[in-house]
Amino acid sequence: MQATLRHLLAGIGLVGRRDEASAHAHPELVACEECDAVYSRRALSAGDVARCPRCGSILGRGHVLAVDGQLALAAGALVVFALGNVSDIVTLDLHGVHSPVTLYESIWSTWLSGEHVVALLAGATAFAFPLAVILLRLYVLTPLVAGKRVRGFVPALRALRWVTRWSMVEVFMFGTLVAIVKIAGLASVIPGVGIFSYAVLTVLLAAIHSAGLHGLWQRASELPA
Amino acid sequence: MNLVSSTSAVPTARSRGLLGCECCGLVSEAAADAARCPRCGFALHQRKPQSLQRTAAYLMAAVVLYVPANTLPIMATASVIAGHESHTILGGILELWHTGSWDLALIVFIASIAVPILKIAALALLVVTAQRKSRWRQAERASLYRLIETVGHWSMLDVFVVVLLVGMVRFGAFASVEPAAGLLAFGAVVVLTMLASASFDPRLIWPDPADDD
Repeated sequence: MQATLRHLLAGIGLVGRRDEASAHAHPELVACEECDAVYSRRALSAGDVARCPRCGSILGRGHVLAVDGQLALAAGALVVFALGNVSDIVTLDLHGVHSPVTLYESIWSTWLSGEHVVALLAGATAFAFPLAVILLRLYVLTPLVAGKRVRGFVPALRALRWVTRWSMVEVFMFGTLVAIVKIAGLASVIPGVGIFSYAVLTVLLAAIHSAGLHGLWQRASELPA
Repeated sequence: MNLVSSTSAVPTARSRGLLGCECCGLVSEAAADAARCPRCGFALHQRKPQSLQRTAAYLMAAVVLYVPANTLPIMATASVIAGHESHTILGGILELWHTGSWDLALIVFIASIAVPILKIAALALLVVTAQRKSRWRQAERASLYRLIETVGHWSMLDVFVVVLLVGMVRFGAFASVEPAAGLLAFGAVVVLTMLASASFDPRLIWPDPADDD
């Protein structure tokens, strides 16, 4: 049973298979992810960006934020995320009838209208994946600040790579603005705490994403397992 | 430092018998293509397996669904004043334009119409040129791929707009908004094009001399 589960997870890239031969590591080299050119690894100072001279993709970034800074950003993001989800995004005023709207209610209304897949898609990309990004970052970073490598570091970082790709807070944020403009002719719209929280969350997540994951792999591999 | 004089002279991981991990970035020496990364356990490949076939398959599915996504209504509104109305993506953009929000109309046009079309066209170009092992404008094709990866998820904008409108406009018989079938097709196009660009291996833009035979 456990073996089957592990095999399934390995199939979608979340955990590694252990039954195959592993390769000999060359941490002193860096291969361009986009064109396969090999360079020797150099230490980058904060703010530096190393680009592949052949294809122009980013080979690595010097850490502007140390691990503790990244942890602070993730903790801040969790607070704003919680605030954004419990408060109203907007309140509609239609001839004196006030109707507060939260993200949860919007997704639930969509579900009730019968478009289940769309509701799941919106719920995943605007709620579940951003939450997973924040929680996984906290889970990995908290022990790393103390110089420890958390249990399950590898699957956590792999999951993080996946959910980061499908987290769309900034698009949702912009979608809110478009929806407000579209509705302005029908009812007056009072922006709520939720939309401001999501605006701050957009900025925090962008800062977190820019720190990348390779730095974390690098740092954790220097620690004892 | 003269790093690039001729692209064929660039030492690549493949030409040196090395593999770069797609997950954690570690370079390792691999005995076989089926090896695992010693650091993260991810399957190591010189190139993503069946990259072009999978990208092409996702693209074709996206092209097919692009038709209902744009011809079917993505939402239906009902109100006392305006009665029942269906709205397509293009219709929503024209409405924004006519009500004076030309800036938002432009942004929604870019996110909902221009980005999906350009993504499909650009990925088709990348697949065809990679299949032919073309050396035509490699640096530009690499930038094009990065652009697709960056802007791809913005097409989800209209999905969020409708979901929010459905949540906002709930005044019973007075006014209501319901999602319609086109929205599902549109969401599927966005997801499929994102899967297509994730399946494409940009390393195929830079064929090694070893690939020539």
